Amino acid sequence: MTTPAQAKSDPFLSDRPVVAPGRPLLEVENLHKSFGSLHVLRGITTTIRKGEVVVVIGPSGGGKSTFLRCLNLLEVPTSGRIWFGGEEIVSGGSLRRDGTDANLSHRERERNLNRYRSDMGMVFQRFNLFPHMTVIDNVTMAPRMVRRVSADAARRKAMELLDRVGLPDKANAYPQQLSGGQMQRIAIARALAMEPRVMLFDEPTSALDPEMVGEVLAVMKELAANHMTMVVVTHEMNFARDVADRILFLEGGNILEEGTPTELFGSPKNARTRDFLGKVKN
Amino acid sequence: MHPLTFAASLASLSSWWSAQSENFYICFVKNDRWQYITNGLWRTLEVALCAVVLGAILGFLVAVVRSTHDKHGRFGFLNAIAKIYITVIRGTPMTVQLLIAYFIVFSNLNDKVLVAILAFGFNSGAYVAEIIRAGITSIDDGQMEAARSLGLSYTQGMCRVVLPQAIRNILPALGNEFIVMLKDTSIASFIGLDDLARGGSIIRSQTYQAYIPFLAVAAIYLVMVMIFSKLLARLERHLRRTGGK
Repeated sequence: MTTPAQAKSDPFLSDRPVVAPGRPLLEVENLHKSFGSLHVLRGITTTIRKGEVVVVIGPSGGGKSTFLRCLNLLEVPTSGRIWFGGEEIVSGGSLRRDGTDANLSHRERERNLNRYRSDMGMVFQRFNLFPHMTVIDNVTMAPRMVRRVSADAARRKAMELLDRVGLPDKANAYPQQLSGGQMQRIAIARALAMEPRVMLFDEPTSALDPEMVGEVLAVMKELAANHMTMVVVTHEMNFARDVADRILFLEGGNILEEGTPTELFGSPKNARTRDFLGKVKN
Repeated sequence: MHPLTFAASLASLSSWWSAQSENFYICFVKNDRWQYITNGLWRTLEVALCAVVLGAILGFLVAVVRSTHDKHGRFGFLNAIAKIYITVIRGTPMTVQLLIAYFIVFSNLNDKVLVAILAFGFNSGAYVAEIIRAGITSIDDGQMEAARSLGLSYTQGMCRVVLPQAIRNILPALGNEFIVMLKDTSIASFIGLDDLARGGSIIRSQTYQAYIPFLAVAAIYLVMVMIFSKLLARLERHLRRTGGK
């Protein structure tokens, strides 16, 4: 943890938990999530190491999105434990509505929650860009409000990112003037602007017209090549095969099988995995 | 047409016209009666503008309490009060509320203008609250989720992401609420407030002329509403041009 004085000098590094050496970036232990009587996640346990690209596949309704949304507490786990950078962010015994420690005051819990989330980039299926802001404002808002970056620095960083996703000329456009693929690339840039330690992708190409899928996947591949830690829920099997370090097959709220792409696509051990892969191959 | 009939109808027209100008003189010029209209107009505008500001502030606070409660279950007590407030205000006639405000709640307040502002403001607040709440509900949950996923707090997400979009969506409904209120202030004559409508009423009681004063009052309300509608339409166009849905 840095002091406020240091935070000022390097806003992007302020207030960040340090990964305990030797520990994975994300650890999930026996994660359960129910919506009323619907038991969506039934005990997920896995770890995600720094720089790793983990792709989550599986049939619809299997809990893939819920798993991802539990990681940054958009959904509050019913029970289980999650460590982020060695720091426990969910502990089953003392869960509150927002998934944090019951012993803390509301204000402290909120502050912790905001800090975890600001360190995890999230990309949504439906982009969720802010329609009342220009592209550049979409990208600079969070760094300015949450990290207290100056307008100039935020803008420079945003232009760099727009360049990186191939849309430097769209800075002053409004989201509704862009195509789906462009919106999703902006959404990725918006998440990257916070310099997150992990990027979560919730079916980032599912809402796109087929001809726009490629441009979004290309941006994600570039991120992976630059060692960004990524958890990707997707139906794009080619992306999983080419980019993933590890694949999780999720069905019925459980991880039925996990392994490298070669293992999983080459010789799936579980009958359900074989069945699913057979269906999605074409 | 026979020349004589033509002359006769011309004569009757001119006598009608001179009668009307005589009436107009009696109603507005004689004894400076036009001042009943102008003073009433300022009173009406004063009450309507102050009440709409009070209503907007109240409505905004109530709406935020109500939607935060719906989403997070917080503010249980405040939410219960807000619900009672909305139910009572929307379930009783404005005239009755005004009479209760004047004769019961603020009975020791001698300022009729202030009582009218408070009564109309509290009334408007209940309607504005429901308009704003509907506006907040109409914004996709993904907007708040995206804001929270970037590390913004609930309040920051509300102020920077949800409310700006909600207010843009509900601007026509809010403008309409102001128009309704501007016209509704005419019932303030029930407590003897010298507003525009009462100006017409006073002139009628002094001159025994109903047509001219009341038609003039109606025309003034109409022109005010038309001007305001125009301004509102222009504001909406401006907001549409600067992005948004």
